[in-house]
Amino acid sequence: MSALLEVEGLVVRYGPAIAVDGVSLKLGAGERVALIGPNGAGKSSLLNAICGLFKPAAGRVRVGGRNVTGRSPGEIVRLGVTQVPEGRQVFATLPVEANLLLGAFGREFRGELLTATMRYVRRKTQVQERLERVYELLPKLHELRERPAGQTSGGEQQMVAIGRALMAEPRLLAVDELSLGLAPLVVQGLSEFLRRLNEEEGVALLLVEQNAALAFELCERAYVLEAGRCVLEGPSSELERSELVRTAYLGGGLEVA
Amino acid sequence: MTELVQLVVIGLSTGSAFALVGISFALIFRTTNIVNFAQGAFAVLGGQFTVWLVDKEWPTAAAAIVAVLLVTAVGALVGLLAVGIRGLTTPLASLVITLGVAFVIQALQLLAFGDRPHTYPAVSERAWTVQGVVVQPQYVLIAVVTLVATLLLTLVLRRTIIGYALVATSDSVRAAELVGLSLRSIAVVTFAVSALLSAIAGLLLTPIQPVNYDSDVAIAINGFAAAAFGGLVSIRLAFVGGLVLGVAQQLVVGYGDVITPQARQYELAAALVIMLVLIGWRSRKETVT
Amino acid sequence: MRLVTASARLVVTLAAGAAAVLLAYRLDPNDIPIYMNMGLAALVAIGLSLLMGFAGQISLGQGAFYALGAYTAAILTVGLDPDDRLIDPEAGIAPWAAVLVAPLLTALVAAVVGVPLLRLRGHYLAFATLALHLILIAALFAEDRFTGGQDPGLIIAKPLEVAGFAMGGVGDAARNLAAVIWALVALALLVAVNLVRSRSGRALRAIATSEAAAAAAGINVAAYKLRLFVLAAGLAGLAGGLFAFRLGFLSPDAFPVIISIEFVVIVVVGGLGSVYGAVLGAIAIVWLQDWLQQLGTRERLLGFDLPVQAPGVFRIGVFALILIVVMLFLPRGVLPALGDGVRRLRRLR
Repeated sequence: MSALLEVEGLVVRYGPAIAVDGVSLKLGAGERVALIGPNGAGKSSLLNAICGLFKPAAGRVRVGGRNVTGRSPGEIVRLGVTQVPEGRQVFATLPVEANLLLGAFGREFRGELLTATMRYVRRKTQVQERLERVYELLPKLHELRERPAGQTSGGEQQMVAIGRALMAEPRLLAVDELSLGLAPLVVQGLSEFLRRLNEEEGVALLLVEQNAALAFELCERAYVLEAGRCVLEGPSSELERSELVRTAYLGGGLEVA
Repeated sequence: MTELVQLVVIGLSTGSAFALVGISFALIFRTTNIVNFAQGAFAVLGGQFTVWLVDKEWPTAAAAIVAVLLVTAVGALVGLLAVGIRGLTTPLASLVITLGVAFVIQALQLLAFGDRPHTYPAVSERAWTVQGVVVQPQYVLIAVVTLVATLLLTLVLRRTIIGYALVATSDSVRAAELVGLSLRSIAVVTFAVSALLSAIAGLLLTPIQPVNYDSDVAIAINGFAAAAFGGLVSIRLAFVGGLVLGVAQQLVVGYGDVITPQARQYELAAALVIMLVLIGWRSRKETVT
Repeated sequence: MRLVTASARLVVTLAAGAAAVLLAYRLDPNDIPIYMNMGLAALVAIGLSLLMGFAGQISLGQGAFYALGAYTAAILTVGLDPDDRLIDPEAGIAPWAAVLVAPLLTALVAAVVGVPLLRLRGHYLAFATLALHLILIAALFAEDRFTGGQDPGLIIAKPLEVAGFAMGGVGDAARNLAAVIWALVALALLVAVNLVRSRSGRALRAIATSEAAAAAAGINVAAYKLRLFVLAAGLAGLAGGLFAFRLGFLSPDAFPVIISIEFVVIVVVGGLGSVYGAVLGAIAIVWLQDWLQQLGTRERLLGFDLPVQAPGVFRIGVFALILIVVMLFLPRGVLPALGDGVRRLRRLR
């Protein structure tokens, strides 16, 4: 059986600059995998290429065995991969509930707004059920459902972004920099939530993180990226103990969050 | 005093039309980051098509509806062109493309309708007189329709899923893409809706100000100035801006003969001065592109 | 541009300029008017190309500056006071002085209008300059006491001459004027290229690459943009002033809004920021314009009866279509795209 996500030799370029230089990775159903590395290592570019925002210059991306290289983000969402973007990127002037509904709406797009609307309207009951489910998983969102998303705290916005991504019933949730700009306690809560989500709902996780300690705690496996290349990979327990990782990312033996 | 009120009344009415065009500008800009130069052309086409059908003995209402539908279709097509080729077309390039489109539409109008101004009869020739101020029903019609259209638009944007999609795209383009929304399709729909609104504005204005193939430029400038009130993004402020502009324009025309006997010719000066003042004021708060 | 060294470019430009000047004396007299138009359009386009290429701003009012330059030169020549004009044939200043004042005035207007506008995005300037053009035309029609309006128009009674060297619209004077125009084009090219290569030029190129980065590096972006706008306006004003003496007679009809659009088309075709491209674009577009004009005045074309508005339809429609097609598929301009094509071919060999 093919892995849920397979990336082979991916190369991403911005004009003359190479952001991702031939990276390969694999992720199976229900796994939790992390991509760690310093700023500018290409982690976000890799993620965005997987999710269809950029067309890679070379390489292949497969979801559930299907080749999706260079396809539009909508098609990739339909195949079960959604992203919680870096910096949350909530729809700030819209109420939280509208944000969530759009997560489901986006899935109906086959390139055309009007037909997507018709499909969405026909699936109204399923969408409502899904909304209830997301509110069950993230009760705070129900409380905030009428508040404009931009008027919520950082941690709440992260929940909105996660909830929005969950509305599309993904098999794989890609999270870009979960911890960015959030208080450690909040990050802890979100991390716990994601772990439960993975264990109870079977949603796989691909976590892009600068905070290596967090990444190792949450994910079983990790890839280390530097300057667009994968320099190390393996189970978190092993990586945590490696010289390279300890000195570069874990403060040489000291626990730095 | 009655003269002043008279000018204000007229100004509120023509200003309503500018407001609709300004709202159309703002809608497109906040959703796609494109300034649609052809907005004025949509308004003019609304008038031209209506006149064309009315001249064929169609009832005015039917003519208006069909005209609006035609222009909406044109708008969708223009949207497709303006969005251009992904990754290749910058917002400024889109502006130039819509500039080209506006003039292509001019050329086609010249071919189809000639270079004479066209108009059709207003909704009623019998004017009401309130306290010495003459109010033509057409003026009231423009104002009422504009108000209703603006309210409907706001409702759609805040209550329907399509509206959510449009607002989402202006809030965060990246998240909108990631969620699966097709930016190109949204752009086309936005252009179509804008064309619809502008066509309504244009056709309602035609009985008062006959349209010609080259009337689009002045309307586009006025609509843009109205939208500039809200930094090109706020629909509410574009509405207000249109009204202010309409009134200012009438005041210039009405009282401008203090400066020059030919004040009527300088209608556009109101728009330009307001734009310059607004921009000068705004640029003190923000700079950069 | 990277294919050629600085001194080679200087030599080639001077040689081409000399050739262009000589050509004025060799051409068939029927071709002189269009030759002059090409040169005038080139002058305007050089300035606009710099503005669009480096400041990323579109001026839809170059036609206004052109008109302003023409009328300034004309009115100063025949006298400001319309009553004086009728009585005193000596009213007004020397034509050559008037031609020099024209670009100064347009530059001043541009400075005033540009200060608020250039701080913001390109579309504000686009609309504001367009409004400027329309208002100016309205003023030219309306204030017909000063400008002569449409009828009778403004007749420029004094010829343009310097120490016996006559420049005008017909005969030998026309050749002289054409020569002067093209000499100025060569001069403008050299000035423009020098500007781009100089220290200011580095700032300009930084701005063209990324305004945010340039601003962060301490470059006063707004000031540079203003300078380019003023320069473009000045060039257009100079061209306009010379145009007035080519025509000998002015009417607002000569400056419809479409000419502002045509200047944009020229720059877009020649390549934003490429001043040589601007000159070539001017030659191509002015030639096209002339051809369309002749096509439009025929009675029949391809078996169809042409309506009386055909010239207008062709002129507006064709240029607008060029604009759309080029911006969609060759946004850097036709000539740069051709240059890219040539470079790719060379690499293949």
